[in-house]
Amino acid sequence: MHIPDGLMDPTVALTGWIEFLVVAAVALYMVRGRTSEKDIPRIAVLAAGVFVAQMLNFPVGGGTTGHLVGGALMAIMVGPVVAIMGMTVILIIQALLFGDGGVTALGLNAVNMAIIAPLSGWGVYTLLKPILAKKGDARFGPGASLAVGVGAWASVFLAASACAAELAVSYAVSGGAYGIAATVSVPAMLGYHAVIGVGEAAITVGVITYLWNVSPGAFAREASTTAKPSGLRGVLHSRVAQATVAVLIAFALALPLYFMYSAQGEDGLETVMTENGVEEGSAVLTSPFSYGESYFAALFAGILGFLATALMALALLRVLRGRESTD
Amino acid sequence: MLVAHVRGHRIRAEELDEYARGSWLVRLDARAKLVGVLVFVVATALLTETRLVLASLALSVAFAAMSQVPPRHLAKAYLGALPFILVASASVFLFAGAERGVDMWARTSSCVLALLVLASGTETFDLFSGLRRLHVPAIMTTLLMLTYKFVLVMADEMARMTVARRARGFGGGRSLLDRRGLRLLSYTAGMVFVRSSDRADRTYEALKARGFDKEMRPMRATRVGALDGVFIAWFATSSALLLVMQLGVAG
Repeated sequence: MHIPDGLMDPTVALTGWIEFLVVAAVALYMVRGRTSEKDIPRIAVLAAGVFVAQMLNFPVGGGTTGHLVGGALMAIMVGPVVAIMGMTVILIIQALLFGDGGVTALGLNAVNMAIIAPLSGWGVYTLLKPILAKKGDARFGPGASLAVGVGAWASVFLAASACAAELAVSYAVSGGAYGIAATVSVPAMLGYHAVIGVGEAAITVGVITYLWNVSPGAFAREASTTAKPSGLRGVLHSRVAQATVAVLIAFALALPLYFMYSAQGEDGLETVMTENGVEEGSAVLTSPFSYGESYFAALFAGILGFLATALMALALLRVLRGRESTD
Repeated sequence: MLVAHVRGHRIRAEELDEYARGSWLVRLDARAKLVGVLVFVVATALLTETRLVLASLALSVAFAAMSQVPPRHLAKAYLGALPFILVASASVFLFAGAERGVDMWARTSSCVLALLVLASGTETFDLFSGLRRLHVPAIMTTLLMLTYKFVLVMADEMARMTVARRARGFGGGRSLLDRRGLRLLSYTAGMVFVRSSDRADRTYEALKARGFDKEMRPMRATRVGALDGVFIAWFATSSALLLVMQLGVAG
């Protein structure tokens, strides 16, 4: 998934750099406030550990192998903010010393593997764990393992989706001079990484289970001893709210690409309609919401859509879980 | 002697720095090298005209030839990055035509080669010090230095564990359905984390004893001199020329 120099359209690469610098600046600010000097070697060891774990090839089948990305693993172990820093450090070393991933593409590589992967992996894990794991179970049971696995799979799949979208947008905005056409990049990246994600999930669950049993201190401890703030601050401090924000940020990062791509022309359905001379009639039902033309309007619409979908999914899982316990 | 295999590159600890010491590039200020090479890489990434992309590749090859970094080392390092380059170039070659595919290969290779010469012709910690002196945040450069140090040690540990696994008859698993294989691999990775956790505490104690206060100080503070000026000017001029010609073609 490492994008080399010269593969992406310069405007797409620049967009990646801007997004990366904004998120990295916030992460740096938060890490500075939360870490002591003793934590720095620990973060470095963890980053080195993930770097080395990336060298461990797992079998995919048919003689092919894949390797770990590690964003979800690091985020679940020490939280998403430290994971963003750690993964960024890994990518800089790979780009500068080993030529794995380019310097002009570092922004996009960081957005995919150092921001989207840890945020989505940690977000999905944190949202699913209270639903899937048994309450008050001190062990790292099957429910928690499933939450880790789904989080790790989602982290790879979403990072690969972002990478495919970047390739497709580069191709579209440059008229084919950069990137790879969406018809190739999207099915190839998503199909391959949907499978690779299974390996990522299996290895992440294995590592987390091993560490949980052998060295529970490797995990960031929640500040359970401090009193939880009440009211709106309490909501903002809750893990569910933070995880929701993490997933939303991961999706929001894709919006500029969506606008760059959609600005290039009609979507698939519109193209087919135009080719066949079909005109759009008036809608039977009109939605009170619109994606709008501006970034913030689309972001708002995206947030509403995400919240509605997440709430429905959570409600469905709760109903299923309730039914399971009564059985 | 510590031998680490990092993403296909066989690295002896200090090996990269040995190459640096044999090159005249080591005498240059790390900031000048970073600025010069990065300007060139950015300019190359903007080129779309085939002959200009090939000219950029020729400049990178000339830079590599003049650098006094052993060509064999550069070739090996380039081969390590080649799978990433080939996947991108082959996709473009197949779906956008041969010329675009060649452009992609040459453009990416030119950037990778220039960066590999920069990395090989600079002592690693000097490179990170250069980033710090270019105002990259201290916490980031400190993490870079410590992570790189730990990567070499942990890669060595991972290599030894891989040998031990093979000695016990484990060949890497068959497929994603091979649960035993995947469990073994993940436990190996977990073991690396556990073993290195103690090392982090020991490293902190050692750093503290040497006056560590959240920031690694540069080993040597070089100044930008005439040679550095020539280096930056050479890259800046060639990059500007390539871009002007690209704009001329596009216009």
